[in-house]
This record gives sequence, C-alpha cells and structure tokens, in this order.
Amino acid sequence: MGLRPFAVVRRALEAMARSPYLALTAVTTIFAAALLTGLFAASLSGGQRLLSAWAGEVRLSVYLAPGADLEQARQAVAALAPGRQVEAVPAAQALARLAEGLGDDARLLSGLGPDALPDAVEVAAPGIALPEARALAARLRAVPGAAEVDFGNAWLERLELFRSRARLLGLALLVLLALGTAVLVSNTLRLAVYARRDEIEIMKLVGATDAFVGAPFALEGLLQGAVGGGLAALALLGLHAALAPRLAAALPPQLPLGRADLLPGALLGALVAGGAAVGLLASGLALLRFLRRP
Amino acid sequence: MIQLFHVSKEYPGEPPALADVSLEVEKGEFVFLTGPSGAGKSTLLRLIFCADRPTAGQLLLFGKNVSRVTPAEVPFVRRHIGVVFQDFKLLPDRTVARNVALPLEVRARPDGEIRRRVRELLRSVGLEHRADKLPPSLSGGEQQRIAVARALAADPALLLADEPTGNLDPERTQEVMELLLAANARGTTVLIATHDRSLLARHKRRVVHLERGRVVSDGAGRPLEAR
Repeated sequence: MGLRPFAVVRRALEAMARSPYLALTAVTTIFAAALLTGLFAASLSGGQRLLSAWAGEVRLSVYLAPGADLEQARQAVAALAPGRQVEAVPAAQALARLAEGLGDDARLLSGLGPDALPDAVEVAAPGIALPEARALAARLRAVPGAAEVDFGNAWLERLELFRSRARLLGLALLVLLALGTAVLVSNTLRLAVYARRDEIEIMKLVGATDAFVGAPFALEGLLQGAVGGGLAALALLGLHAALAPRLAAALPPQLPLGRADLLPGALLGALVAGGAAVGLLASGLALLRFLRRP
Repeated sequence: MIQLFHVSKEYPGEPPALADVSLEVEKGEFVFLTGPSGAGKSTLLRLIFCADRPTAGQLLLFGKNVSRVTPAEVPFVRRHIGVVFQDFKLLPDRTVARNVALPLEVRARPDGEIRRRVRELLRSVGLEHRADKLPPSLSGGEQQRIAVARALAADPALLLADEPTGNLDPERTQEVMELLLAANARGTTVLIATHDRSLLARHKRRVVHLERGRVVSDGAGRPLEAR
C-alpha cells in the first residue's frame, strides 16, 4: 500500500486552502528572500557585464622602429591576429589623434615634428582576457620592424584582478544571502508545521507512515517555494521593464545593459528552482523533529 | 493477543508508572482496565499502541516483542489497533466524514471503498446526518461516537479505549458501550481503561484492577466461560 500521488496533491492543496494565512506567509517569505537574492545576483551579473564591456575597449599597439614598412607590418599583424580589426596608424595620424585627445592642451605639442611619434599598427581586441592579450602581444613582437608592443598591461591586469575579486566577493555574498534565506524560510515553515503538530500526531496515531505524513508537507514546501521564486522572477522582470529607460540614459551608449545581461534566463530559472528547493528542504527539516516523535 | 511479562515503565524523577505487570489478554476478549487516576491505565495503553516502550520486561503484541519494533514498523503495528482517546483527538478542521476516513486514507484504500465504509460507520453510530459537519460544532457525546467510528474504521484486531465514556451522560455512555460491545461481538479484542464503576457493574466482563502501577486484581466480573 504505497502513496497515491493524486491523494498527496489533494491533501497538500487542501492543507493550503485550510490555512491560507500560513501558506501566504511562506510564499511571501520565499518571495522576499528570492527577490533580494535575485536583485543581488542581477547587480552582480550587470557589474560583470560592465567590466567586460570596459575590457572591450582594449587595443594592442605595435610600435614600429624608424624606417619600418607600415603596410608590410599591417599585413603581418593581420596574419597574426586573424579575425580582429587591424589598423595602420602613420606617425602623423598618431600625433593628430594625440592632439585631439589633449584638446585645449594640444598647444603643448606645437614644437614636435610630424614623426615625433612612431608609426604603429593597432589591433582592436574587445573583451580580451589578460592571458590571451599576453599571448597575442608575444606573437606580435615577431612582426617585421616591431620595436615595442603595448597591450595596456597595467590597466588590463588591474581590471582582471578587480573582476576576479568582485566575482569572488559577489559569490561569497550570494552564498551568505542564500544561507540566510534558507534559515529564514526554514523558520517560517517550521512555524507552519508546528501549527499543524496535532494533525501530524493524530495521523501517526492512526497508523500513518512518515512518508504519508511528510509527502503533502514536502509538496506544499515545494509549491510555495516555486510560487515565491516565480513571483520574485516576475517582479524582477517588471522592475527591469520599469527601470530600463533610466538605466539606458545613465550609461554611455557603448555600454548597453540589456535584460539578458541583468536577468539572464539561467538566473530566473534558478530563482524558481532555488525557491522550490529551499521550500522543499525547509519543509523537510521542519518536519523531521515532529516525525521523530513516536 | 497481548502478553505482558514483568513489565515496568518509569519516567525520570517519578514513581514507577507501571511496576512488574504481568498480564495476558486473549483474542476476542473484552477487558476493563480500571483503577484510580495515576494507577497506570493510560500508560499501559500507551505501551500497547507503541507510543512508549517498557523500561523493563517484555510486551508481546500479536506475538511480536514491541521492544524490538523499529520506528518504521510502528505504523504497521498500529494499523491493527484502533484507539479511542479520552480527548477524542479529532481533527477540528476536517469534516466528520474525513475524520472517520483517516485510518482508511492512511492505508491507501480506494476512494469508493472509503466513502462506502464511512457511510456505513456513521450510520452505525447514528451520525450519518452529521457527515459534513466539523467536530467542534458537535456535542461531546457525538464527538466521542465519531472517535469510536474512526477507531473501528479499518476493522482493527484490537480496540483500545481510554475513558471512552468519560464526561458522557448515562444515555450516551450506553450508546458508546453498545458500539464497543458490537465490535467485540464481531471478533475485535477490546481493552477499555475506565474508572467508571457503574460500567463495570453493568457489564460483567473481565476487570483488571491497577493501583500505583501494579495489578492488584484480575478477573472480577469475568464471565465464567472465559476464565
């Protein structure tokens, strides 16, 4: 005589209908906890996306020795960095760019001749990681006439360090938040189970197995968790829809933060699945102490 | 059916609830367990339905030593026992019908069979018209009869009743007793804990008298043919 799934579902739904306040409290707690966790995870995801976008500004420059053939060097660079945008920058153009960058201070360059800066070949390397940038720079040193290769070493290294620390800190905070959430939800569901301790006792006295008693509670926890997590996912989507125009206005156009950057499908799915898992786990833990009684 | 060999039950810091009790209840018997409050009647019932374990001695139930029954086996032992509790232990937020159906739901009986059996039981206790009511809306006597119906729902081999007529008027007491006697007539072994002397006088059955956790007499009122 095993459990009848339909009967378990019916008993779980009946229990929630009998105690709507308790069910609502559990769903609200999980919703609040999932929303908080989701907001934090979305910030973390957006932060990582912005850092990646900033890393996308990286350009590698191959400075040529005086007298080197710029076009030949450009072809060599293009061959060594296939698929990347390669641009030959003659000395005069480099000086003009520098002057433009200096703006009003461009007069400081007035004493310099047109070949004050070396010819260079530039490689756009959006989103390149530090080890990859190092490897590419090493290959580019073999370009005929190359005097120096610069890939913004210091900037990239600082950025990489910041990214990895931010990722670690974010994950640690996320784990702490998830643990705190689990404790909070567990306590709420424990109250719900405690409120029904007489029912558990009576069912056991008439011969119910732990599985018979526990299955509807577990299903309730699972459903309440999934509903709480699902509502949090919907709330985050709504929040994003409401705030997206302001966010777009606040960020430079080359750094767009789309819905998928802040709230990727995996995160939304994890909120629902995580809510369900926390609900199930918290219900199970809360039940254990009652089921252990004779 | 029930065999106790030198059974004792002690709770820390208290005098023994049961002390060296030896007792045998045979299949089909109807036994009154009597004695003053604190004599050990309820403790003995608790040991029999596995809510507690003896601290000494052996208790055999259906030929099985309850001290060796694992927690996972307890529900299956209890499925052979119907219990009427002094405080009824009805679920206040379930209808009368759902309360009576509980032992059958626990046994995963088909819905149709449960409905049929519940109707039959409620008819037998005269409460068919109360099937959809909630227990708190019923009188004490009606609740007691629902508790009896629930205890009998799965045709248990053994029926334990702790003060089943406590707080009932004589008419209701007689109704409940008739239900228990009818179950006994159908073959269920019945063990009733009571301190109601009028019950013992009215129903000449075996009486086991407990005082301070000890059996002080056994057999008064027991029909000759059962001795």
